[in-house]
Amino acid sequence: MSLYLTQLWAVAWKDLVVEFRSRERVGAMAAFTALVGILFNFAIDPTVVRPEQIASGLIWLTLIFAGMLGLGRTFEIEAQDGALQGVLMTPIPRDALFLGKVLSNYLIMMAVVLLAMGVFGVLFALDWGNPAVVLATLSLGALGFTAVGTLFSAVSSGTAMGGTLLPILLFPLLVPVVIYGTSATNRLLADRPLSEVDGQLRMLGAFALVSLFVGAGLFRYVVEE
Amino acid sequence: MDAELGATKSGGGSGGMQRFAIVLTLVGLIGVLIFYWQVFFWVNTERTMGVAQRIFYLHVPAAWNAELGFGITALCSAIYLWLKDERLDWAAVAAAEAGMVFATLLLIEGSLWAKIAWGTYWTWEPRLTLTLLLWFIFLGYFMVRRSTDNSEHGKRFAAVLAIVGSLDIPLIHVSVLWFRSIHPKPVIMSADQPMNLEGDMLVTFFTALIAFTLLFLGLVAFRYGLERSQALVAQRLRRERSA
Repeated sequence: MSLYLTQLWAVAWKDLVVEFRSRERVGAMAAFTALVGILFNFAIDPTVVRPEQIASGLIWLTLIFAGMLGLGRTFEIEAQDGALQGVLMTPIPRDALFLGKVLSNYLIMMAVVLLAMGVFGVLFALDWGNPAVVLATLSLGALGFTAVGTLFSAVSSGTAMGGTLLPILLFPLLVPVVIYGTSATNRLLADRPLSEVDGQLRMLGAFALVSLFVGAGLFRYVVEE
Repeated sequence: MDAELGATKSGGGSGGMQRFAIVLTLVGLIGVLIFYWQVFFWVNTERTMGVAQRIFYLHVPAAWNAELGFGITALCSAIYLWLKDERLDWAAVAAAEAGMVFATLLLIEGSLWAKIAWGTYWTWEPRLTLTLLLWFIFLGYFMVRRSTDNSEHGKRFAAVLAIVGSLDIPLIHVSVLWFRSIHPKPVIMSADQPMNLEGDMLVTFFTALIAFTLLFLGLVAFRYGLERSQALVAQRLRRERSA
């Protein structure tokens, strides 16, 4: 078990170091999130709708679009010079490789989640009510999203269409995340009690668990030669 | 794989499949003709909904065949990844294409019915939403299949999508149920009033269900035969090139 975790962490650490040195994905995702927040600000007429009424949906869509930007490049660096073959030749089981990739993607994604909370909180003057629960909701949704996204990022980088294909494969599958995530965040922004979002949080957790298991099981067929 | 194709290529199997496909499709088409006669000239008009209710006879078989198609695709995809048998992939893509035809039909005639019954072509009602997402998952299935240089990869990617899709569909279904449903409740198999359709309506309904299912199976059989022929041609070309 500890060997498995070591292997998993080795993959995640490698990706995080690459990311830390290049800051390619985090930089793009962060700039994207901030810019989308600014654009949404102009796209909404505050005399017609109050920002906190639609902020929840905007945050979730921003996270998914920004996440797609980063996730789409999960296997991009390794596609060069056959580096992925090298990774696949290591004695790391495929599922540990997948979960390691999910972990590094998730940590990057969480940086974007925190940034989005900050950007939207400031630009739309949102009152988070209970920020810890909002963060928990976003983190659970982001976990499921990252797991499905990492699997299909491997699929789309194996095709000639590349990242163009990713949203077409991913969006229909992400409907549960959007429905439960936005409904929970909406209620939290409206200062409803915790008991009203309990069900949504469970479903987000269930989606994340199913995605992690299925992704870990199917990843081997995606990278197999 | 090559040896196995070689065994079936010399005749009997392929011809048998073709005959099977022709018979299924012809019987299905005759059934569809009978159904059209029934639905336009024979069956009584329903009292509250009027003529638009007749779309129902087409609607339920279309929904059933679309789901059947996707079920077969997901099942064959899962076993294909496990056993690596080409024939399972042919069956998966054949069922997906036939399922896509019925899913498209379902969305179109369902919208026409909704315009009359609900006053709107589209509403974000759970079953409509689910059907639309199913349609898009099918679309992704075909796109990912066609966008790889190595067709083996495309088949595997598509299989992975079909499996994830089939596991995601219950989750999507539960999640879209959070919206309130205005879709009509099941009338044939409802628990409190089993078989509460009038006799002629039941006959029309089951004619449609059987006819369209046979047509579906015929289309799947034809498409399966086509996939097999393509694989045989590709294999022969490879052999000639290497010889």
